[in-house]
Amino acid sequence: MRFRANIENVPIFYRTIQAVEKLQKKCIIKFTETEMHIICNDDANEGGIQVWSVVKVDSIFASYRIQSNANNQITMILATDALLQALRSSSTSAATSSVAAAVLPTYDSDEVVMKLAKKHDQAVLAFEMLGISRTGRKIRVAHDVRVDVMRPSDVDRLREPLCPEPDVHILLPNLQKLRTIVERIRPLSDIIAIRANNSGKLQVSIDTDTVKLETQWTGCANPPMARDELTQDAEDPAHEHDPDELFSVHVSIRSFLKFLNSHVVSTTTIACVCQNHCAILYVYIGEVADAGGVLTYYIPTVIDGDE
Amino acid sequence: MSQSQHSVADDSEAKPVLAASLHDVRYLVALLRGISFSNRATVTLTADGGMTVSVEESRTLVATSYIYPDHFDEWTYTPPPPPPKSASASATQATELTNDDDDEADTNTTTAFEVPLNTLIDCLGIYGTANLTSLASSSGGPKHRRWRRDGESGDEGDGDGGRRGGGGGGGGRGRRDEAPSNNSRIDAYFGAASNEKRTSARVSYGGPGYPLALLLAEDASGPTTTCEIATFDPEPGVDLPFDGERTVLKIIFKSSSWLRDALAELDPSCDKITFTCNPPAAAAANNAPQPQQPQQRGGGSTAKPLFRIQASGTFGSTEMDYPNDREVLETYECGAPLSATYRFGHIARTLRALQSSTKTSLRIDDAGLLSLQFLVPVPVPKPRGGSGGGGGGGTSNSFIEFRCLALDDGTSY
Repeated sequence: MRFRANIENVPIFYRTIQAVEKLQKKCIIKFTETEMHIICNDDANEGGIQVWSVVKVDSIFASYRIQSNANNQITMILATDALLQALRSSSTSAATSSVAAAVLPTYDSDEVVMKLAKKHDQAVLAFEMLGISRTGRKIRVAHDVRVDVMRPSDVDRLREPLCPEPDVHILLPNLQKLRTIVERIRPLSDIIAIRANNSGKLQVSIDTDTVKLETQWTGCANPPMARDELTQDAEDPAHEHDPDELFSVHVSIRSFLKFLNSHVVSTTTIACVCQNHCAILYVYIGEVADAGGVLTYYIPTVIDGDE
Repeated sequence: MSQSQHSVADDSEAKPVLAASLHDVRYLVALLRGISFSNRATVTLTADGGMTVSVEESRTLVATSYIYPDHFDEWTYTPPPPPPKSASASATQATELTNDDDDEADTNTTTAFEVPLNTLIDCLGIYGTANLTSLASSSGGPKHRRWRRDGESGDEGDGDGGRRGGGGGGGGRGRRDEAPSNNSRIDAYFGAASNEKRTSARVSYGGPGYPLALLLAEDASGPTTTCEIATFDPEPGVDLPFDGERTVLKIIFKSSSWLRDALAELDPSCDKITFTCNPPAAAAANNAPQPQQPQQRGGGSTAKPLFRIQASGTFGSTEMDYPNDREVLETYECGAPLSATYRFGHIARTLRALQSSTKTSLRIDDAGLLSLQFLVPVPVPKPRGGSGGGGGGGTSNSFIEFRCLALDDGTSY
């Protein structure tokens, strides 16, 4: 089992882990020959939220080498905060919150190498950074993040949640703005309803004994989905959807806020509503055109007595 | 207390009791937040007085915010028709009748309901642009003078040496930026408004049984929010009438910070706070012999301070004396020596109101009833009908009033 890579784009990696870190203490990272999958599927998560993300190796790593008995895949469980610490020290620009830092290649370290190693009979992901300090001296920083490599049989048991074909796809407004609003609603209710239709309308609302509140965006884009067209060809006459019909899903407001933590990494976010089943949120890492990677959040509906 | 909500379609033709709009909710939020120590607030609407919102605690403390019609860009109050008449007929006729008696009746009509205050504030602040952080600092600037310290030359009979705290560490704290910032409030209103977003709101209330409806937006392109906040039938609140005839002490602090800093200095664990005052003549006579000498801690109680705030708790007590300086106490009228004690927890409730106010008036009557009035300047939108925008028609002074009953034991007249 061999694994070694240079981390070229530390800020993106850092932000992705940062978004995931709020969700659970440990996460699963699966490296394949072309992709990195970050998986948070703990049953104990608030409201049952799960994250399944796919990042293309090329968008973060260089000189990527992987070798294993299981189809050249390596899957490991590691502590997110330890990984975050390691990444933070490799680049000060990663730790700053501005988006500009993600774009500008201002690394303090010339080279960040990540490799799988064994130290004291314990598998670790070793990070080694070589850089130059402000005074011009060469420095070398090493972090070892303890990992548990998963057995291939356990890996096979990981299953992405099965969802029906979403009723609606909609482009979300700026996540940071959305987050401000949801944070203000948070003290008023535990459950938030997300509604969207196929003509660009998005609503988030709460309904409690003391207050009914509804925030509405209009003019959001409904991205055409490749899958949509396929299914529509097959059963178009049977399924004439009214574009103004709102589809809604009730989710735990705390889970929704956890998803909104991904504003640090997001440029474009598409929300899908499976009526009364779940909300699926695709957070694109980097520009959509590059399709460097996507974080997929699954938030199941809250079964409410009123519904 | 019953919560009853008609379906909105009930009688959509009747005019709503209140329809108002404002382009910047920050001042409204500041006035509401100043009294938001209890969730249940009673809102009273009157034809000419606008809106008063009041909150009470343990039937001892009543806080009221006065929100005048001129704070709104648009304000239409239609008193609900009296219930015994057939509602639909009288509602349409009342507007047509020019009868004096009818008008008279209308102007006297008030409408009251209760709302969950914190929910209302949360809703108004949904876009995160409802906080008035700059008000206190910018407006306090020009009026604010730092405390005079020992050793500095006093210009008049101010021999008391300024403030004397139990901690004594107040010197540096009191020093504030004295740079003239007359324009900063204007800037906050005009300049900042152009590059910073403001929440604008439309408020309406359909009448008893209807929810309080809010429509909030930041700008034309952004999202819009509608809220319906449940209203409740008002419960008879405690009324603490302050009779101006019986006023014993009247102080106007030139800047609210003179009181705010003093209260903020006190330890939160204190349980009682006492205001002691003496007529200016008596205080001056007492202090004349040793003008610049710091008083002994123990001896403080025998002297006759002009105005003293004393707080005591399990860990000790703190005394602060105010000088007879027009720059600090703009007005000081005291008819007779007085000492009144209040629960510190109640007085500390005023801190949030002090934060957004510029001037403070403190009055105590002969029974120890305390009335604190905090002046909150509110920029007035353009003359009625104008869409507002940024055009200011000056400022209107609104205020928040706190009334508090004295504790029985500690008051001496």
